[in-house]
Amino acid sequence: MTEKEKVIVSNKGLVRAEFNFWVGRYMDKFYDGLEQKKLIGNKCSKCGAVFCPPRSVCGKCNENLPLDQNWVDLPETGTLQNYTITHYKVADRRTRTVKDPQLIAMVQIDGTNTAIVNRLLNMTPEEIKIGIKVRVDWSEKTTGAPSDINGFIKV
Amino acid sequence: MEKVGIVGFNQVKLYSDANYGRYEMIFEAVRGAIDKAGLKKKDITTVISCTNDYYDGRTISNCWTVEVGGGYLADESKCEMDGAHAVLYGLMRILSGNHKLAVIWGGSMPSCYPYHSARLYETDPTWERPLGYVNDITAGGFQMRAYMEKFGVSKEEIARIAVKNRKNAAKNPLALAESQNANITVQDVLNSDVYSDPVTELMVAQPCDGVAALLLAPERQALKITDNPVWITGVGYSQDTYYLGERDLSVSKSMEIASKTALNAAGIKNPKNEIDVAELFEAYAHEELIFTEALGLAEKGKAASFNSEINGELAINPSGGAIGGNPPCATGLIRIIEAAKQLRGEANGYQVKGAKKAIASGQIGMCAQNNILFVLEGNV
Repeated sequence: MTEKEKVIVSNKGLVRAEFNFWVGRYMDKFYDGLEQKKLIGNKCSKCGAVFCPPRSVCGKCNENLPLDQNWVDLPETGTLQNYTITHYKVADRRTRTVKDPQLIAMVQIDGTNTAIVNRLLNMTPEEIKIGIKVRVDWSEKTTGAPSDINGFIKV
Repeated sequence: MEKVGIVGFNQVKLYSDANYGRYEMIFEAVRGAIDKAGLKKKDITTVISCTNDYYDGRTISNCWTVEVGGGYLADESKCEMDGAHAVLYGLMRILSGNHKLAVIWGGSMPSCYPYHSARLYETDPTWERPLGYVNDITAGGFQMRAYMEKFGVSKEEIARIAVKNRKNAAKNPLALAESQNANITVQDVLNSDVYSDPVTELMVAQPCDGVAALLLAPERQALKITDNPVWITGVGYSQDTYYLGERDLSVSKSMEIASKTALNAAGIKNPKNEIDVAELFEAYAHEELIFTEALGLAEKGKAASFNSEINGELAINPSGGAIGGNPPCATGLIRIIEAAKQLRGEANGYQVKGAKKAIASGQIGMCAQNNILFVLEGNV
């Protein structure tokens, strides 16, 4: 059977089932911080690990991080831990590629034990090196959403 | 552990865009396994289906696979992970003492849906998913770079694994045609398009259409069904943390724990000497090296110099592995089937001589968050 002879039923969906996720009490605080262009995290009182974004539970210790305790104000600077470069936009790899590849990095914010993933901006692939210092590039108008962090730029 | 035997299996040919429906494919795999073992529908006492609602485009998707999967008015339930996890579920059903024959099948048809979008639904919807920067494509790039940076491993050394598996796949008639590359070179792999730097397209286990089925039975029953059962002598699995930024991606802690548990259960002290063949679910070439180290077959960072060819120190992925074709929900199940084929001496064209003990692994999640390892032994 050739591709032309195949009958394809493409179902765009009669049902719209979109989720409105509530981010939860911890991420509520975090997003309030982003809106003011501030990064915050929280600390496990048992092992001392600092999480950014904050967590309600430390998986390693299986301990709750109380909502009203151990919040840490964090700087907007961090260390580049890892990176990758890709032309692919995720929705459909075959058709969705970008002309200029995206530089995606893992950045460990200073004073934390975890890394966050976001774009590297105004950098060429040759400039990227593991271990360099970067800082948050904030969106001009913040709204208390993940997109408040535009990406990371070289310090 | 009471002995449980693999008494039959069947896998359909893998295609990047199969010219038949997924339900026909499931029937071909399951009915084929039953027929080959000389059994009938009435012999099936439990069925474990392995699919994914997002990949099937419907919820509780096993509601529609009942007839084709041999589950009609039978004890049937579903595992929504890798096919290898479904084998663990089937094993537990047999060990409950209530079942004489378990059918385990798994598979999917990614030619019908945007695979990478479906995988994006794995990510945290309240933080990572809205931006889309964490996804299964970028995760592969992060993992390979972490491994290279930590241990100073070169791209060429990693490309050699893709070459080995693609050459092995050329000997396996059921592998994906696009992965059967008998004359491929390291340069071909390095020169292929960038997937997510440093990963190139030919280092990736391409998602493809395919279904596989496996039959399990308790010892007494197994010996009635076949003279050549393959025994499950150990199993271990482990789940790593979700956030990539919290994990050391240059190693696989979950595989280390899974292998310790499984090898211990099977009484294997030195896997390098005691295991004859390994079939590992490597989503990318570099993962095979990371797993080789996690299994204790090579020191950290040194797996590239371990000879894992069919006639090497210990054959890894003689069938071509997942790089030879990666049908979601079937890939780990196929690793177990390929290991069983080796132990039964049925791996025509890529048989490891005199294979007596094997290991086979499955995985799920970004950067192989969860790993499961089986130890199998032939009926000697």
